[in-house]
This record gives sequence, C-alpha cells and structure tokens, in this order.
Amino acid sequence: MPTPGGDLVRAMAGGDREAFARFYDRYAGLVFPLVLRIVRDRADAVEVLQDVFWEAWRGAAAYDEARGTAEAWILTRARTRAIDRLRAVRRRGETFVAPIDEASAAATTPPGGDAAARAEDRQLVASALTQLTEAQREVIELAYYAGLTQTEIAERLEQPLGTVKTRIRLALARLREVVTST
Amino acid sequence: MSHEPFETLAAVYAVGALDGDDLAQFEAHLPTCAVCQAALREAQDALARAMLSTPPLAPPAEAREALVRRVGRARGADRRSWLTWAAATAVVAAAAAGFTGTWVAVRYEARLGQMARETAAVKERLARNEASLREQVALDRGAVELLRDPATRVVDLRAQGPAPAASGRVIWSDAGGGYLFVAGLPPAPAGKTYALWTIGGGIPRAAGLFGVDSAGRATQRIAPTSTGTPTRVFAVTVEPEGGVPAPTGPIVLALK
Repeated sequence: MPTPGGDLVRAMAGGDREAFARFYDRYAGLVFPLVLRIVRDRADAVEVLQDVFWEAWRGAAAYDEARGTAEAWILTRARTRAIDRLRAVRRRGETFVAPIDEASAAATTPPGGDAAARAEDRQLVASALTQLTEAQREVIELAYYAGLTQTEIAERLEQPLGTVKTRIRLALARLREVVTST
Repeated sequence: MSHEPFETLAAVYAVGALDGDDLAQFEAHLPTCAVCQAALREAQDALARAMLSTPPLAPPAEAREALVRRVGRARGADRRSWLTWAAATAVVAAAAAGFTGTWVAVRYEARLGQMARETAAVKERLARNEASLREQVALDRGAVELLRDPATRVVDLRAQGPAPAASGRVIWSDAGGGYLFVAGLPPAPAGKTYALWTIGGGIPRAAGLFGVDSAGRATQRIAPTSTGTPTRVFAVTVEPEGGVPAPTGPIVLALK
C-alpha cells in the first residue's frame, strides 16, 4: 500500500525532503506530459516542471486535502503555470501557437523532431477525451490546453458565450462519467 | 438568483477559462458556497484523472537533479534529514522502473479512492430505496386496513380539462381519513404542484400537496378532518409550490 499523496504533501510541509523526492517521483511523470502538451517546447516544459515542483515544496503547507486530491492539486498548479508560460510566449510574439491548426498539423506530421512528445500528445488526445463529442473536446482543448478564455473561445468558434459555457459544463460532466467508469 | 448559473461558472473556472465579470462574480461566491467548492473539486479531479488515463512521460534526469540541489539548499535543513534525502535520492535514481512503479501506485490509489466513493454512494442509494419502500408499504397497509372498514367509501375522480387522460380514486372514511390514488397525470408545470382539497359543508380544506412519479402516478394519505362535517367531495387543483389556503388554480380532477 503506497503512502497516500496527501500524506507526502503534509510531510513536505514539515520540511521532509525525502517526502519531496517521493512526491516528485510519483507525480513528475504525470505533470510533465501535461506541461509539454501545453507549452509544446521541451526546454520550456522542463523549466515549468521545475517551477511547479519548487512551488509545491514551498507551498505544501497551503495544501488542503478537503479541497482535492494531491494529483488534482499538483496538476491544477502545473496547468496554471504552463498556461502562464504559454501566454507569456504568445505576448512576446516569439511563437504564435494556433491550437486547432497545430493539433491537426500534428496528426499529419510524420514522426520526427521530438517524436516521443508527439506520440505522447496523440495518446493523450486518444485517451479519456475521445469519449467526448467533437464539440465538447474542442472547448476543453481550447480552454484547458490552449489557455483561451471563454470569451476568446466564443470569438474563435463564432458561438454565443452562453453556448460555450454550457458546452464546457457538459464536456466536464461527460469527462467525469468517463473517468469514473474506467 | 438561481444557483444553477454558478455551477456552470464552476466548470468554466475549473478549465481556467472564466474571465470578465463572470470571474469576479464566481471568485466572490466560491468561498461562501460548499456546493460550488464540491463542483470545482470534482471537476479538477476529473481533469487530473483524465491525465491518469494516459501513460506517464518521465522528464529528463537533469530536472530532478537540479531540484534536488535546490531543495537541499533550502532553509531549515539539518544534517540528518539531508543524509536521509541523499540516501532516498540514490535509491530512487537507481531504480530504473521507478516511474512505472510510482505510476501504478498513483493509479492504484486513485482507483481505491474511487471504489470507496462508489461504495458510499451505493450504501446511500440502498438506504434511500429502503426508506422509500418502507413508506410505500406503510401506505399500502393503511389503505388495506381502511378498505376492511364497512364505513369506507370509494369515490372516483374524473379528469377536468387540463389533463384529460388523468384519473383518480379516493377511499375515505370520515373517522379514519383516506387515500388518494392518481394515474395518468402529467408532472405539474415548473413552480407548481398538485393540491388535494376535501370539501365538506361547501368549504374546501387543504388536504396536502403532491407530485407524480415518472409514470404519472401518485398515492397520497389524507388525514381525517376534525370539523365533524362529513366530507363528500374531493378535488385536485394546480397551485403554486408551497401551497395556498384556498384553491386558486385550475381543477384537474374532481368528483363528477
């Protein structure tokens, strides 16, 4: 029986470095593909990953088990940091990442470059999210992975804001059904 | 304001897409609302578990080493814990299958948590079903007892307009009260409910509010009246939720 993730975070809050090592080894493999999927650049992803775990070490005392599992805690932080990085990159105009076009391009790009990351990308898309309708998957992709706000999504999809909100809600409800049934 | 819009905002917040007034409104509401906190927790958990449904991807070993050094330099270090840390690091670094192992552990833990939640949900559902069955049995038993009494009358109620397919029957004794049985009645409109009235001496008295099940049926216990006036007439009307002292809405079932 493994130590529950919440216990590791509590031990970290008490300054236990061994707990941090175990925490990292348990969750880094989960956080890294999420961050990579969002920022898309491997070097950026590694930096964000380090920031996320550093902040988790420093902020462990603020973790409240009643507000969610340890994996939800670390992944929510990771997603937020990755989106921050993505937005900063977009603001600097160094790279313009168009999520939908990028995603469809990735599907037709032959293996090459960071092949592992690309394969990982596709596997993620091919997992729980495939159980959503196309329209539901699209709003989750745009919001959670591409960092667009509801208003930006409504503009991009040329849909009323209310429709976008409802679609996100239904998509999450469906996702919950999918992950609780596997 | 209904709470439902907040539940939608909670979902949009969970995927980090809330902006503008919605964001300000939701963040002001969230600390005060257990329902939204739970909705947010469940949404974040679902997103985390969607990640768990994909294979892990180990970051480069340098990332771990850099973090190890940084945490090692952090304030509050004592020599013993540093040694423990270094030992743990060496062990884990040597374990090539470490990622797969911890991965399995995380999934296992998530699955156990899920099973515990499912078990609790099943228990709760069983308890609810049992309570509802007990209630039903008590109603049926009461009705059968009443039917044994020669003073009990059976009164048929007919549909009156809004729900032409509906039918109703009351069994009634002035001493013991009675039961209303309804069939073929559509659900009451939003914000409305059905109300039963007993009428004796020309005065309608409220005899309870009820809704119908998915098959359009309902069974309702009617308490005996304490007025001394024999009750001869029964009627069902559509009324605002919460009820009214005297009938105001359209009659859907009545003695005729």
